[in-house]
Amino acid sequence: MKNTLRQVFHSSKFLVGFIIFALILLTVWLYPLLINPGNPLEMIGVGTFAKPGTYVSLYDAVNTRTETLRLPDADDKRVAYLLSDADRVAMIEWFGIMDIDVSELDATDTDALLDLWFENYDPAIKPKGMTQARRNFFKRLDKSIRQIRSADTLKVMHPEEDELVERSSITKTDYVNVGDVANVKLLPLGTDNFGRDVLKELVSATGTSIVIGLIAGVVATLIGLTLGLLAGYVGGLVDDVIMFITNIFTVIPSFVLLILISYSIGQEQRGASVVALVIGFTSWTWTARSVRSQVISLRNRDHVNLSKLSGHSLVRIIVTDILPYIASYVVMAFILQVSSGILSEAQLSLLGLGPKTTVTPTLGLMMNWAMLYSAHTNGSWWAYFPVILTITLISFSLNLMNTGLDQVFNPTLRD
Amino acid sequence: MGKVILEVRDLKTKYVTRFHEDVYAVDGVSFQIEEGKSLGVAGESGCGKSTLALSMMGYYFPPLHYISGDIIIDGKNISGMDPDTVRKTILGTEIAYIPQAAMNALNPTQKIIRFVEDVIRAHDPKADKKEIRERATARFAELGLPKDVLDKHAVELSGGMKQRTVIAVSTILSPKVLIADEPSSALDVTSQKMVIKMMRELMEKGYIKSMLFITHELPLLYNVTDDIMVMYAGQIVEKGTAKEMVFDPVHPYSHGLMGSILVPEEGTRGSRLTAIPGTPPNLKKPPQGCRFAERCRYATDECRYHAIAEKPFGEGRSYRCLRSVDQLREVYENE
Amino acid sequence: MKGYRKYFGKKILWFLITLVAAVILNFILPRLMPADPVSAITGKMASGMTDASAVQEIYKRYEAEFGTNKPLIQQFFIFVKNLFHGNLGTSFSQYPRKVSNIISSAIGWTICLQLPAILVGWLLGNVLGALAAYIRKGFDKVLLPVALFMSNVPAFGMAVTLLVLFAVKWKIAPIAGGYAFDMIPNMSWRFLKSVISHYQLPFWSIVLVSIGGQAIGMRSMSIYELNADYVKYARFLGIKDRKIVGYVFRNAMLPQVTGLALSIGTMIGGALVAEIIFSYPGLGSTMYSAVTAADYPLISATTLIITIMVLVVTFLLDIIYGFIDPRVKAAQFDA
Repeated sequence: MKNTLRQVFHSSKFLVGFIIFALILLTVWLYPLLINPGNPLEMIGVGTFAKPGTYVSLYDAVNTRTETLRLPDADDKRVAYLLSDADRVAMIEWFGIMDIDVSELDATDTDALLDLWFENYDPAIKPKGMTQARRNFFKRLDKSIRQIRSADTLKVMHPEEDELVERSSITKTDYVNVGDVANVKLLPLGTDNFGRDVLKELVSATGTSIVIGLIAGVVATLIGLTLGLLAGYVGGLVDDVIMFITNIFTVIPSFVLLILISYSIGQEQRGASVVALVIGFTSWTWTARSVRSQVISLRNRDHVNLSKLSGHSLVRIIVTDILPYIASYVVMAFILQVSSGILSEAQLSLLGLGPKTTVTPTLGLMMNWAMLYSAHTNGSWWAYFPVILTITLISFSLNLMNTGLDQVFNPTLRD
Repeated sequence: MGKVILEVRDLKTKYVTRFHEDVYAVDGVSFQIEEGKSLGVAGESGCGKSTLALSMMGYYFPPLHYISGDIIIDGKNISGMDPDTVRKTILGTEIAYIPQAAMNALNPTQKIIRFVEDVIRAHDPKADKKEIRERATARFAELGLPKDVLDKHAVELSGGMKQRTVIAVSTILSPKVLIADEPSSALDVTSQKMVIKMMRELMEKGYIKSMLFITHELPLLYNVTDDIMVMYAGQIVEKGTAKEMVFDPVHPYSHGLMGSILVPEEGTRGSRLTAIPGTPPNLKKPPQGCRFAERCRYATDECRYHAIAEKPFGEGRSYRCLRSVDQLREVYENE
Repeated sequence: MKGYRKYFGKKILWFLITLVAAVILNFILPRLMPADPVSAITGKMASGMTDASAVQEIYKRYEAEFGTNKPLIQQFFIFVKNLFHGNLGTSFSQYPRKVSNIISSAIGWTICLQLPAILVGWLLGNVLGALAAYIRKGFDKVLLPVALFMSNVPAFGMAVTLLVLFAVKWKIAPIAGGYAFDMIPNMSWRFLKSVISHYQLPFWSIVLVSIGGQAIGMRSMSIYELNADYVKYARFLGIKDRKIVGYVFRNAMLPQVTGLALSIGTMIGGALVAEIIFSYPGLGSTMYSAVTAADYPLISATTLIITIMVLVVTFLLDIIYGFIDPRVKAAQFDA
């Protein structure tokens, strides 16, 4: 046993898979404990899909002590940020009307754009065919561009009695230290469509999904193992009946059964554990088949015959003379079932047949929400990409472990 | 004395394991076979006799590696040749091989005739398909194989038929030397007889000029081959004619090995069945003295520290032991 | 020939048995559940209605349509009878469209998308796996982990990634649908071009997902075959390595046909979900809209059709395999 374990951990594939999986588990356990406790489904944001980043309370920032910093490129950065893409397109349109060669111009080069604008814009020019409304649009654009450049201060008003009284003003050179601001929130993966912290939700969902995979794997392995042992060891009619059923369920795609059962159970009854059980109940066929064929080859080995002659009970023979020989195989099948269980949950949830949506997040549900709210077409990558990556990493790590085990236990595959 | 067809001089080869350790499986083997003669190689499993067969092809691929020595076929030394020349001009035409596991030697999804085509075309790319078929049909008929075998897949043939097919395909180009590695060990008695008959026919009809026959079944060697050599731990411990080796083995190992044969004609020697205790040495680090010393009943301390060369005696015989032939014979007499 | 007939007979019998089992399961699973599907549906349909007699009316209508007021066994025969007439009921969500009508407009899209994609993925995966097994060393070291990683990207994940990169970011492919939304399906070039450009992303996402798993399977299969006895034997007969590699790949590839048959169910499952991401007008999207609209007859029909598709493909692959691999012929036909 000890020797086998050492051999297993000598396999680099197994080791890499094991480390990735262990790191994921560790994160699932420690992140909510140490870094970010609380309800993962808490809606902290009101809008949808806030970008990843550090959020600083504007209200608190205004009331924080300021420091004056004269940074040389501050103005340029501010202008570059405030000048929208639409504004830039409109400016280039104007240059086109004025017959200026813009082939060399880069729309993201704010400096060059502004220089050219101040050189060429003249509100008095009335280009042919341009409507009054459009001309006014350019006038307004010019005004706003100049405003961005001008050195205005923002006035902070203080509501006192019936009129607003200026309390202080903010100049462009005022800075606050983030550490001094009372409310700063780090959202490494932003928020989702309901305004929930994606990272917190993802960690919790990963945990739930792994549990779903484990439950599904345990159920499938238990059913498969029992049926396989019975069919292989008892043989005869029992074998025929079990194999008949197994063959049928091998050919009928399990996800079709999953869909039918999940739909029939109904949304209200579908908790995460129910979904896990259903997945387990539909994916045992492989284990049953291979356990059976292994048991058949073991059934007539000398040590089994010896046990039979000694009058040991069926259970004892199976536990002491057969199980140890197929254990490595069953473990490998179990690992694969965990990984396919996680994937099945995700696919079911994407179809809208996943666990109830309000209790716990799962990876599939997160994916489903992101797709329902078109995160993929509106550029909110943080709502779905980490989910895809997590699913891939979990199943990658499990499969690596499996390949490593396979190489240890099936030496013909070694390189 | 006839013309020497095959001569092997001090051949050394090794296996390199996954962990980059060297295993010296053939360690300085020399012998020769004359035209029309057959030589048997006997020994326990793991003594290097199968490796000897592989090493003699002059065509090495991992994990087997050539170290030194000569393999001379009909005056041509093939051991220094470039692999592609060996493949084109030697394999199949000068020297051919019948593998240990003939059961799996044929590609299961290929028709026999396609394989024969591939074999012939590997040496003569322009060979005509029709001619190949005629040639194969004639040779198969000559060797008593049913004519529909050519158009079957290997999986459709029985074990004995597969082995006979393998023999026929191996010798289709009439090689000068045939190396047969346990060609009949996995077969039932009837098939075994047919295989042996076939090997004799090959020799008689001149399709092969000499044969090296490897087996762990000694009675078979006595019936099939002219000469026998016994291998132990990668070396030859004794050589002689089949009769001499069976009835008058000199080396303690051959003596022990022959002691286990039941020879129907003589009866007296076979009355006592002995097994040799112990296991062969680890060939990653061969012992410096006599390799058999650890298991030898007659070994002294001297045996363990002196490397022993092959010593000739009698008519073309040789053995590898510290003691003299007379001493050994005397010891055996008194038992 | 008799063997062939027996083999086909056995396969057809199995096909029919599983088909019957699939139909029974499709019928019985929803009815085994504690909640009565009709009342669940009526509840959804009647939400917002205040008139109790109208709700009663709806309930009665669906009860009659489903026949839930009759005993289970009678319901089953009605179900089967309707099935034979191609009558799969009326859709709730697209009332009064017939379910068979909706399915038949979706099934073509699914077959034309998934069958070629899975086949291309299978072929490419096998070629890459074979290369990895043959070249080994660096190629193997780089390709294997990449393939392993790729094979673990879920189909929907690959679909979303391709969609975001090619359609949203680089805008070189359309975002959704089977053809431009402002077109009416016809046989014009313009329409065909639109179909082809909408085809690319779903197609390649399925291909990319299936490559990895196939490559890994093919690689270990090829390594196994490269160590087979027939490889060694063919080498010793002087056959060129390139030719031998040909044998190996053929032999390794054939069992991959069975591998495909066994995994096609899972693959189609993933691919159907990928369809949803692209709003491709196939069965996956149909099922999705059916689930979101709680359109029970449509769900039941899509699952049944998908099962039948998988059964047919598996059956065909089995038959093809029986023809092309002589090993099956030997094992099955003569038995």
